[in-house]
Amino acid sequence: MSEKSSRRQFIDLSFRIAGIAGIGGAAALLTKRASGNAVFQVDPAKCAACDLCRTSCVLSHSAVKAVNNFSECGYCQLCPAYYDVASQPDEMGLPTGKTCPQEALKRRVVGKVDKDDPNNNYYEYTIDESLCDGCGKCVKACKPPAGNGSLHLQVRYSRCLECDACSIQRVCPQNAIVRVPTPGLSPAKKHA
Amino acid sequence: MGTSVESKQEKLLRRLKELGIPSAAAIGAFSSLAKPESRKTAPPVPPLIQVDLSKPFAPSHKYALSLTLGRAGSVHLFSNSLIGVAIGAADRIYVLGDGQVFIFEPGGNLVRKWKAQEHASCLVVSPDKKVFIGASGRVEIYGDEGNRLGGFSIGDGSKPASVTSIKINRSEILVADAAARLIHRYDINGRRLGEIGTQGHSGFMLPNRTLDIAVDSRNVIWAADAGRHRVSSWNSDGQPIGRFGKFGTHNVEDFVGCCNPVNIAVAPDGKIVTGEKVAARVKVYSSEGKILAVIGSEHFDPNCLHLHLAVDSKGRVIVADPVRLQLKVFSPDINSGVRESL
Repeated sequence: MSEKSSRRQFIDLSFRIAGIAGIGGAAALLTKRASGNAVFQVDPAKCAACDLCRTSCVLSHSAVKAVNNFSECGYCQLCPAYYDVASQPDEMGLPTGKTCPQEALKRRVVGKVDKDDPNNNYYEYTIDESLCDGCGKCVKACKPPAGNGSLHLQVRYSRCLECDACSIQRVCPQNAIVRVPTPGLSPAKKHA
Repeated sequence: MGTSVESKQEKLLRRLKELGIPSAAAIGAFSSLAKPESRKTAPPVPPLIQVDLSKPFAPSHKYALSLTLGRAGSVHLFSNSLIGVAIGAADRIYVLGDGQVFIFEPGGNLVRKWKAQEHASCLVVSPDKKVFIGASGRVEIYGDEGNRLGGFSIGDGSKPASVTSIKINRSEILVADAAARLIHRYDINGRRLGEIGTQGHSGFMLPNRTLDIAVDSRNVIWAADAGRHRVSSWNSDGQPIGRFGKFGTHNVEDFVGCCNPVNIAVAPDGKIVTGEKVAARVKVYSSEGKILAVIGSEHFDPNCLHLHLAVDSKGRVIVADPVRLQLKVFSPDINSGVRESL
């Protein structure tokens, strides 16, 4: 009798362990599948461009970069994201200081060029992502009323390691790092 | 390209990713050990652009706040929006806000209000008390009681017109179209007469997608060319006359930021009044562009994208603050300045 009891107990325990392992494995698989269908992204409506994207990413060169929404951009001659508009002007009347510490924001004249009066020209602003460290100074300078708000920070998936727990999200005071379905609708388009 | 050599930590994390090993625990450990500074609170948000008026300015004219309408104390006149102001007969103040037209006596008493059309963006009042209201692609005409009298479409149909300002020049209706970057000329029946801003000119530069205009007693049309940081003047046939203004943050007569001035009005004696965003201030110039007075940013919300302007027959400057939903009236100090004539 005692042998039968111990055998029964062994079989019972074995099934319990197998059941728990099965449930745990299924949970892990579902979690991995769910996280694989979503990525982290910056919600521009919440982002305060506080510099934590630069300092908190696990990468030494943050995966967060500034991007310019050209449909919103004013193509201004005197872009406050490019120029430090409070700096002393040069002989042409243009500010001598730049907003970006890394000089990652590039400027070029586009369209019909008036060489006699630069006030008549339009300028395109692009970001050199190899230099941009995601500090957000340009984003902050572009926010209304100073600018149109076309510049905003975004996670670049070519660099992002897709950590299960984003270290920037953990410290973001605005809760601006959100999960979005991969790799599709970004918060920027959601708020358009 | 241009990046530093991957650290050992980054190599390990990338390897973990390749192997598909959940790295939450590893990330948490590395983050806490390798970057303790990431636990800092967010740095304080620096203020908006500070205007550095390094050079002292002694105004030759002064203005004092004499009346506030709207959110003053417990009185809430405007609930959601305040987007235009104009002066009518007997210096009555016509205000466009909350989808309605409010009519005030010069002293601030509300005479009446009535519903305007949808998406109304600007208004002007003719000497015979007709109210012209601009909206997306159209101008609607109302009587003083709010009865609709007619209307007409704006533009040639190739592009939806963005009507941001409307003024009357003799018998013509001038409509500022920010989408086309020019000023349309129409007669009272909606017949297109021509345009202003294209002769010898590549169109107004409007990064903030708004164009404000004004007409003085000599029928000179003034435009706030924000992208060029200047005020330009035109005759009724669309010929350019002149301009003044430039970008700058160190002289009070200059215009700050990416695009200013955003609003403009003309006083009966020919003074030009401009409204700026970022600095959120109103400035008064002579018609030659000499700075005469500044109504400072302490009166307005710093987040204003516009400061809608009007000037009545007594030279009072009426300013609509669309963020604080207030209408402020500034009266000139008659003991200041020299009365200027055109």
